[in-house]
Amino acid sequence: MKKKVISALLCAAMIGTMVIGCGSKGDSSASDKGGDDSSSKAKEDLSIEIVSKGFQHQYWQAVLKGSTQKADELGVKINFVGPNSESDIADQVQMLQSAINAQPDAIALAALDTEACMDAISQAQSSNIPIVGFDSGVPGAPEGAIVANASTDNYNAGELAAEEGYKAALKDRIAKASGPVRIGVMAQDATSESIINRGLGFIDKIAELCDADGKTVSIEGNDKYVSDAKVEKTDGADVIIDVAVPAQVTSELSSLDCQTLLNKKDTIAIYGSNQHSGEAMVTGNENLNKFGSGDDQVIGIAFDSGEVIKNAVKTGEFIGAITQAPVKMGETVVDLCVKAAKGEDVSDVDTGCQWFTADNMDDEEIAQNLYD
Amino acid sequence: MGKNEKKGNVFTNNPLVRAIGTQKIVVVLVIILLALLFSIMSPSFRKYATVVSIFDYSYYISFMAIGVTFALITGGVDLSIGTGMIASGLVGGYLITHQGMPVIVGMLASIVLGLLFGLFNALLIAVLDLPPFIGTLGTMMVARGLGSILTGGMSITWPAASVPQGWFRSIFKLTIGNVKFPLGFIIVILVVIIMSTFLNRSRPGRYIIAIGSNKEATRLSGINVVKWQSLAYIISGLFTGIAGIAYAATFQAVAPGTGAGLELDAIAGAIIGGTSMTGGYGTIAGTLLGVFVMSLLKTGLPFIGLQANWQQIITGLVLIIAVLIDVLKNSKRA
Repeated sequence: MKKKVISALLCAAMIGTMVIGCGSKGDSSASDKGGDDSSSKAKEDLSIEIVSKGFQHQYWQAVLKGSTQKADELGVKINFVGPNSESDIADQVQMLQSAINAQPDAIALAALDTEACMDAISQAQSSNIPIVGFDSGVPGAPEGAIVANASTDNYNAGELAAEEGYKAALKDRIAKASGPVRIGVMAQDATSESIINRGLGFIDKIAELCDADGKTVSIEGNDKYVSDAKVEKTDGADVIIDVAVPAQVTSELSSLDCQTLLNKKDTIAIYGSNQHSGEAMVTGNENLNKFGSGDDQVIGIAFDSGEVIKNAVKTGEFIGAITQAPVKMGETVVDLCVKAAKGEDVSDVDTGCQWFTADNMDDEEIAQNLYD
Repeated sequence: MGKNEKKGNVFTNNPLVRAIGTQKIVVVLVIILLALLFSIMSPSFRKYATVVSIFDYSYYISFMAIGVTFALITGGVDLSIGTGMIASGLVGGYLITHQGMPVIVGMLASIVLGLLFGLFNALLIAVLDLPPFIGTLGTMMVARGLGSILTGGMSITWPAASVPQGWFRSIFKLTIGNVKFPLGFIIVILVVIIMSTFLNRSRPGRYIIAIGSNKEATRLSGINVVKWQSLAYIISGLFTGIAGIAYAATFQAVAPGTGAGLELDAIAGAIIGGTSMTGGYGTIAGTLLGVFVMSLLKTGLPFIGLQANWQQIITGLVLIIAVLIDVLKNSKRA
């Protein structure tokens, strides 16, 4: 009997822990402290549900920081949530569902997978809750469902990476090459719109630049990228773009992708399109030691910051990286939500991006967007 | 086994083969074959750096697999090692980078957290008689949530190899000049020897095997089943913590919310290495060999130009074939 009681208690304790664990997963709510502040712009207590992609990367901490700052400033209540990892599409849909059930004045959403969110989005529409997209936004959503987006134009950002990388080193290397050369593109997945656009922007721009210099370009690797890029798959091209996407988002598989690219003799550059890929490039390079700016080395181009990537840029392992403006993004999304909730006209805002290198990363304008 | 031995051929009657075990010899042959195949098909595979990489990515799985072998031998399983490992790596790293504690404290914290998961599993399974699958499934979820909560959902970067605090990375990979020595491999081998001796030569080890063979008979012969079954899960927990350190030393960052699925790599390694899913049989050396089959496949398949999804299919098929061999062997025995 005693044993049974103990087991019942322990089971309850365990389930309790699990429930608490699930309930507060990634829940980092910034509660309203300025609600009573008469100077705040919002007359009534506006509440905004923000569904992010999680907090795995410090990038999201910076977005959270921006949102909280703006919410305090405007005196609105925000609830910032996100799934445990960027693979948890189903969890995110559930969070979106709970957000709608909470009947907020506006919802901000960075969808991991637009298709999966469709039902919830139309539900929000019929309940007249405006949805503002941020980060990768909610591409392909029904007309009018998303009132505005606060995002980095990821396609432009990818283009910027290609332009700067080309100017700094690639043009020279391609011109000097005696045979075909390979440029690797490491993408975390082929489902998230932001990741896809960063890849496509880079690929299309490289092709355009090479074309202007009289070089032919071909593409191989992941099917999604191969079919969506403006580049055709051809034989005997001067420049081969090789897109690697892991079967699962794990550090190990992405590092192995990087090693595979580094091991190909014709590889002259690798571009990693987010923090995960950039960190995997550092791990993958550890034993091979091929990244650098020398003529026999491989050019590394990264995206986003974080301690590891910042360090790689500083030491010259990577020639540079693109950073977004996460704090500004967080501020903008709250601002758009408040305006939308009040029924004001809102339109898309590009929160911008910058190219940073060892030389300019300490400049105030850049440093504010680099996070650990 | 007796029947097989009597009827055995020259190969199985060889005393050396009998001492090592046929399964292990088959696995060693598979490893050699795979290495040869990859070397022939891809010249860049035949490099020292590749060998170091295979070792790099095998340490954390090796530790998890060594630990889970004990749970498997009792006839149970431990599903919490994957997320438990990540939680251990997160908490240890958090103390170092966010609380400014010395690296050694972070490492100890990782091990202690791993032990706590082990203790919790032991309580659920050995004391409260929960089925191991259910009990450790619960712990797996708890560990996943706990890791995220304790670190505020942030991914954690342990000190880099370039700073003095990064010394712990040298435990696994020592860099002298431009040459890298996979020291971790020697450590893993030492651990295998220690744990093998413990499993086969010590009284507790033998009790653990006995529980897996027939728990009721073991209990009736006066052995404290609860105590020794608990020990198996605590060992699994201990190695979960150690694996957390190895993971942090290998990769740049430990990301919360990850880890689910990694336990299956470790369990697959143990199974390929000949550990019986129904308990009562398993060797630590076999587990290590099994882990190497998995690591070799993961590292080697990209070299021969296979797309990511094909790699998973092949790894899955290898696992099925390995278990199938075991099943067929057992049915013959019966």
